[in-house]
Amino acid sequence: MASLCKVMRNMSARYTLLPKPRVFTTLKSPYSSEVSGSTGEDAGTDDKSAERVKSGFATAYELHSDLQQQQQKGDRSASVRLSSRDETSFISLLRHSPLMQMGPAKDKIVMGKIFHIVNDDLYIDFGGKFNCVCKRPSVDGEKYQRGSRVRLRLEDLELTSRFLGATTDTTLLEADATLLGLLESRDAKPKE
Amino acid sequence: MAAGILTRVSQALRGPRLVGAVLSGHGHTLSTAAAAAKPPAAPIDDTGETKILNFPLTQPDFFRLSELYTIKDLFEARVHLGHKKGCRHRLMEPYLFGSRLDVDILDLDQTAEHLQRALNFTAHVAYRGGIILFISRRRQFGHLVETTARECGEYAHTRYWQGGLLTNAPVQYSPGVRLPDLIIFLSTLNNVFQPHVGIRDAAKMNIPTIGVVDSNCNPSLITYPVPGNDDTPATMEMYCRLFKMTINRAKDKRRQMELLRGISASV
Repeated sequence: MASLCKVMRNMSARYTLLPKPRVFTTLKSPYSSEVSGSTGEDAGTDDKSAERVKSGFATAYELHSDLQQQQQKGDRSASVRLSSRDETSFISLLRHSPLMQMGPAKDKIVMGKIFHIVNDDLYIDFGGKFNCVCKRPSVDGEKYQRGSRVRLRLEDLELTSRFLGATTDTTLLEADATLLGLLESRDAKPKE
Repeated sequence: MAAGILTRVSQALRGPRLVGAVLSGHGHTLSTAAAAAKPPAAPIDDTGETKILNFPLTQPDFFRLSELYTIKDLFEARVHLGHKKGCRHRLMEPYLFGSRLDVDILDLDQTAEHLQRALNFTAHVAYRGGIILFISRRRQFGHLVETTARECGEYAHTRYWQGGLLTNAPVQYSPGVRLPDLIIFLSTLNNVFQPHVGIRDAAKMNIPTIGVVDSNCNPSLITYPVPGNDDTPATMEMYCRLFKMTINRAKDKRRQMELLRGISASV
C-alpha cells in the first residue's frame, strides 16, 4: 500500500511537470495541475485512487462543469445552459416535453380524449394547441362517448394556408388527424 | 341581447372623478381647478381612508399573487403554444421564444412577468372598487367567461360589439353612465381575425386594458399585454381561474381592511 502511494505520488508529480498525452489523462490534462494543486497535500493518494476507480471522463465532466459554473456566473449563455439542467425551468420543460420530442407531426400515433360530441362528429383533444374533429367510425360506433380515449394518427397540428392576396395565413383553428380506434389497453376503469 | 351587461350606476360616481371632468370642460386654470377639486367636506377619518387606499401601493406584491401560479402550471396549461409561423404578427416577435417546425413558441419567462403585472393591476383596481369588464368574442368560451364574471361580481361582454358602446355611452345608455375602469380581453381578436374594436375604443376613452395576445394578435394598444395561448380550453380555464381568484382576493382584502379600520376607529 505504501509503495503504491509512493508510486502514485511520483506519477502525480511527473504529470504536473510534463503533462504527457496519455489515454488515462488526455481529458484531464488541462486541469491536472489544478487537480494536484488542490489535492496535493491532503489525502492525494486517496483522491487519486478514488479517481482511478471512476472513469476518466466522469471526473473530467464534473471538473469541467464546476469550472464552467465558476467562470460564467454572470453570463447569459450560462444561465440558459444551467436552466436547461434545472428541471422546473421553462427551457428544460420545453425541451423534454412530448410535443418537442415528437418531431414533425406527420404520421405520429398519439392518444386523444373525446371531450365533445355533435351527432357524428367527435371533438378529440390530444394535448396540442388545437383539437381535431373526426367522424364517428362505422365499427363500434356507440362506444365513442364523452371521455373515451382513442388512438389517432396525426397529420398536422394546425390547418393553415396562405391564400392569394392575403398578408397572413388563414387558420382553421383545428388539427388534422385520422381516427385509428379505441385505446386497446383494457383498464377496467369505468368511462366518465 | 346585444347591449351587454353594462349597468348604469349614476349614484356611485366618485366625487373627484366627476368634478375633475366638469372643471376641465370649463377651461379653468389647473391650479384653481385642483384647489377646488379637493373633497369639499373632509371627514374626520379621512386619514384612515387614504391610508387604506395608499398603503397597498407601497408594496410590490401586496396581494401575493406570485403564489397563484408557477411556470410549470402555465406550461401544463399549454400557454406557450402559438400559431403557425405564417400566422405570426410582426409585433409579437419579441415575445416569442422561437419556432419549432413552423409552430411558434411563446417565451414563458416573459409571459410570467407580464401576467404578474396584469394580475397585480387587476387586484389593485378591484381593491379600489373599480368596475372590470371581461371581453372575449370566442364563442367556444363565451359561457366560461360569463360564469367567471358572475362568480367574481364583475361584468362580461361576449356578444357582438355595437359601435358606440364606450364612445357613445351617454347616448346609447343614458347620461351619467359609469364606464368600466378596466377591460380584460381574454381574446383580442373578433370572429374574423381582426383586432377587437373594444381595444381601440378603450384607448380612446382612457380605460386601461389587459389582453391575452396570441402569436397572431397585435399587442400595440393594450396596456398590459399577456403573451399566451388563447385557443385551448385548458388555457382559458386557467386564465379565468386566475383572474377570478385575483379579484376575489382583492375584494376580500378590502373588506378586511375596512373592518380593521372600523375596529380601530371605534376603539
